[in-house]
Amino acid sequence: MGKKILLVEDEKNVILGVRTCLDAVGYDVEIVEDGEAALEAVHREHPDLILLDLLLPKLDGFEVLKVLKKDPDTAQIPVIVLTAKAEEEDRQRAVDLGADNYMTKPFKPQELWDHLRSYLSV
Amino acid sequence: MSKLPDPVNLETITGNLADAVLLVDLNKNLVWLNKKAEEFFNISLNSTAGHPIVELTAIKRLNHLLDEVYENQEALKCTYEEASVKVKKLNQRYFFKIAINPIFQADNLWGALVQFTDVTRFHELEKIKTDFVSIVSHEFRTPLTTIIVGVEMLKEGMLGDLTPRGKEVLEAIGADCERLNRLIDNLMELSRIESGTIYVEAEPTDIADLVEEAVRPLKIQAAQQGVELITDLPPELPPVAADFNKAVWVLANLVGNAMRYTDPGGTITVRVRQRGKKHFFSVEDTGCGIPKEHQEKIFRKYVQVSGPGRKGAGGVGLGLAIAKDIVMAHGGEIWVESEIGVGTKFTFTFPVHQGDESVTIPKAD
Repeated sequence: MGKKILLVEDEKNVILGVRTCLDAVGYDVEIVEDGEAALEAVHREHPDLILLDLLLPKLDGFEVLKVLKKDPDTAQIPVIVLTAKAEEEDRQRAVDLGADNYMTKPFKPQELWDHLRSYLSV
Repeated sequence: MSKLPDPVNLETITGNLADAVLLVDLNKNLVWLNKKAEEFFNISLNSTAGHPIVELTAIKRLNHLLDEVYENQEALKCTYEEASVKVKKLNQRYFFKIAINPIFQADNLWGALVQFTDVTRFHELEKIKTDFVSIVSHEFRTPLTTIIVGVEMLKEGMLGDLTPRGKEVLEAIGADCERLNRLIDNLMELSRIESGTIYVEAEPTDIADLVEEAVRPLKIQAAQQGVELITDLPPELPPVAADFNKAVWVLANLVGNAMRYTDPGGTITVRVRQRGKKHFFSVEDTGCGIPKEHQEKIFRKYVQVSGPGRKGAGGVGLGLAIAKDIVMAHGGEIWVESEIGVGTKFTFTFPVHQGDESVTIPKAD
């Protein structure tokens, strides 16, 4: 069975792009489009990894990260931040909150696959 | 010809000036100030004469600037770009350009005239522009993600077969996406530098590390392109006083440029030499050269030189402007020498690290 990835992203086109990219290499993808839905989905779906945008409706990515990394049930799930925020302060803040990796948009599929593989190696 | 009245009435002369004017003695204590200065700093001459100007204005930077004027006995004018100070008054920030003139009595240095020109409005406009650039470049990243991911997947054949022509078109789209991406990175970098959110923190930095970090990512590309990339460093160079990431950026940018303009079979040499208190970093290529008339302009923003033999692709004309900002913020210089058909050599200087002495140039208080 493929590894399950939770994609938290609110831009339809980016969702299509990332989903295509993940489908192509056989990952199962679950998609939610805001921060609150992300927290619910984590408990319901138990994903193997989370791809998290930062600018999200309802609850932003930083908040989601904070909650996930404080909760012993979810803290160990790797979180890769996928964001258009390229400023160093944002990266540092995400890392301080426990992000396992930080990728800035735009990225190439190969980069995403490489990162995923490093966390999901069998 | 009429003579000036004696004594000269400072009040009359400076009363209507829009600039705040203060006179200080050699101890940097206030001797006199005009109406505008009284108003602005909310002080009156009677109660403050003889007090240190740094205390009265709360601009620490004046200490350093006055020292410089007293030491060199020369006027000092800070242009808006290189020096403005923030002053907080009524919870509002003001920005000033400062000019300082030494005053002599007989032949002896007596003190100085300190003049503040309000450039707050300028500053606001600059900020609007910088913020705009930052927002725009940021907003470009998301749509570009969809495009790049899509193009790459199509190119890899993961979404079905393509005709040879279709592949060719996709390659072109992919290359132009890269170009857009670089443009966005450069715009971001520029807006960061202009907004002053990036501070140059000069620290003792190992030169071999710096060069290696800048050159390593470009080695593969050089090899693919058939260009020889040589580094030439004497052993045991003393450390340079530089902000590591910024310095790497400058060097990598120059090498990247050289690569764009150098044909297969050519060479690019990165060289570092120390002369006195400066390290001279140079990047020399055997490329097509830059016409004389363009050499002065290339460090300006949004200038790109095109012409036969120059693969204009890739740049936006910001790289060198940013490089110049970074080098100048370190107290260094950058220049170019070039001959058509022979090659181009960019040189920049960074200070040699001197013990604990700080080389950072304060941008603003």
